Amino acid sequence: MATATLPSAALDPDDVLTQSSGRLLWRTGFDRWIGWLLPLLFVVAIYPILDLVYYISSRAIPTLSWAILTSTNPTATDALGVPIITTFEIMAAATLLAVALGIFGGVATAEFLSTRAAEWVRASANMLAGAPSVVVGYFGYIVFVTSFGWGLSYIAGVVTLAFFMTPYVFRTADLAFSSIPRPIREAALGSGSRPVQYILRVGAPIAFPQILTGVFLAMAIGVGETAPLVLTTTYGVLVPQTLYSPVSFLTGLIWANFSQPQNSGLQILAFQAAFLLMVLVVGLNIVVRIISAQYRKRLEGLYQ
Amino acid sequence: MQASLGSEFDPAQPLPPSSTASGPSESAGRRIARGLGRLIPFVPALIPAVIIVGIIGALLSAGLQANLGRTFFSFVWNPAQNDWGIGVFLVGSFLTAIPALTLSMLIGLGLAIASTAFLPRFVSRWLDPFVDLLAGIPSVVYGIWAYVTLRPFFSDTFNPWVHLHFGFVPGVGGRLPSTGGQGLPLAIIILTLMALPITTLLIRDSLRSVPQDLWESGLALGATRWEVVRHIALPYSNRGVLSAALLGFGRAFGETVAVAMLIGGASTLPTSVFSTSNTIPATMFSLLDSARNNSHFLSALADMGLVLLAITLVVNILGRRLVSSLYAYEMAGL
Repeated sequence: MATATLPSAALDPDDVLTQSSGRLLWRTGFDRWIGWLLPLLFVVAIYPILDLVYYISSRAIPTLSWAILTSTNPTATDALGVPIITTFEIMAAATLLAVALGIFGGVATAEFLSTRAAEWVRASANMLAGAPSVVVGYFGYIVFVTSFGWGLSYIAGVVTLAFFMTPYVFRTADLAFSSIPRPIREAALGSGSRPVQYILRVGAPIAFPQILTGVFLAMAIGVGETAPLVLTTTYGVLVPQTLYSPVSFLTGLIWANFSQPQNSGLQILAFQAAFLLMVLVVGLNIVVRIISAQYRKRLEGLYQ
Repeated sequence: MQASLGSEFDPAQPLPPSSTASGPSESAGRRIARGLGRLIPFVPALIPAVIIVGIIGALLSAGLQANLGRTFFSFVWNPAQNDWGIGVFLVGSFLTAIPALTLSMLIGLGLAIASTAFLPRFVSRWLDPFVDLLAGIPSVVYGIWAYVTLRPFFSDTFNPWVHLHFGFVPGVGGRLPSTGGQGLPLAIIILTLMALPITTLLIRDSLRSVPQDLWESGLALGATRWEVVRHIALPYSNRGVLSAALLGFGRAFGETVAVAMLIGGASTLPTSVFSTSNTIPATMFSLLDSARNNSHFLSALADMGLVLLAITLVVNILGRRLVSSLYAYEMAGL
């Protein structure tokens, strides 16, 4: 009985009501208020992004025309054809190079390396992904532009950008192969397939969507990056003819013209470039989300 | 019959060397080839490590090319006088990154708590992607947007208002510098926005990983939702919150282009909170053009790159060590 008196005294209903009704009121009231106030913070976070999208669209869309998007006239101040074509060329080349550099390493890390070695390799990929873009740009400038003697050129920009994108491809390839359910791997290897056969015939079809998300993600990051390209190229007005040509690209165009006088033609051009860039990056991000949602469904199916 | 079976499959005898396992019958050349073959997967796997080492090596070699002497560790930056003090830009970097991180941690905590504890799931499912979308917008787009819309607001409204009403605070009062709106406050606001998706996403993830049992037992004991967050969920996920702070700091400290557009590019120490200033990455980005033909200048910038790389790498490694999985963070391209 003596043990039972302690909790019953502490939970005496009269006690709670008389002594802590003010306290109780405060606690529940605070909870209700904070439950309304914290969600209001979403306004703080979402208002800027809506304003950004609205403002850039409102400056870019009314003046945007098919003629501007396709005109490659090097002397016009309302032509985006050259930067668009060049941006796509740079992205295609840099993505190919980054995939070549990243995908084999990722697969090898997941499939062949010991746990300890894989740990170190992953740490190095994460370090590279965490390095500021300006540092990668300097690396490109010091190594490719001056040491290799390529000068400020198309190829120096492409290679530097590819190095910047590599860790993202690497990481998703590694993640994709590491997250293949263990029984599938063991079934394939146990029924006599060699590691390479397992990777190509069993692993690759399962991992492919996730690797694809990684590639799109790397593209979204690469296309929006300014520093690696600006530091390793000169800004040109023509579609690059050789590997050593000057280049013009969307982010560089914005950087070169952001401080033009209000409503001048070049500022409008910069806003049009920003709008295209935004559409490109958001589009790639949405593709990534869709693929990874599909992928998750498929993986859940595999585990059943 | 039995004898022949026994001699064929005697369990006491070791298995005959198979054709794939290395044994004494294998020639030395084959064994070396097999050893090398085992090393082949390391070649592609080491590419990121080689790039990192290459970056450090390139910055070191460029940084050591000219002897900057002791001027590198000073607060004076004057290339014409051979003064290469990194101090000015280090101060500028910390003066922008730390307030920006503080703001985005506060907002991020609020958003993460709101969407895990207070908002119904179908609401937060629609609101959260908007915040995550902030991470994907290129920094140069932030830059031009802030330059055209926020800069006039800061120069005409925000800075004079704060100056008028909070002038008694040291650093706020005094003469209001005419910066055209560029300067520390604008850079801090834009860095807050850019670090916000990181802090929000990481804190939200770690709050979501608090076991449902803990939430429910807290509520069952009579705690309010806020008390469960404050006394159970946040202490449980303190490592995730700390890693959010570290990785958010890494982003704010290393951000280049948007800051270069908005901070004003001064190379002296700020005299008031409204002053123009410059950060290490923004300086490296905007001054490389003038450094091309000056080995001392290029060395100073490369040394700054080393300092920047060291700080961001340490912060990133610590931030990643604290939490086991960063899947959502990595899938947001961070």
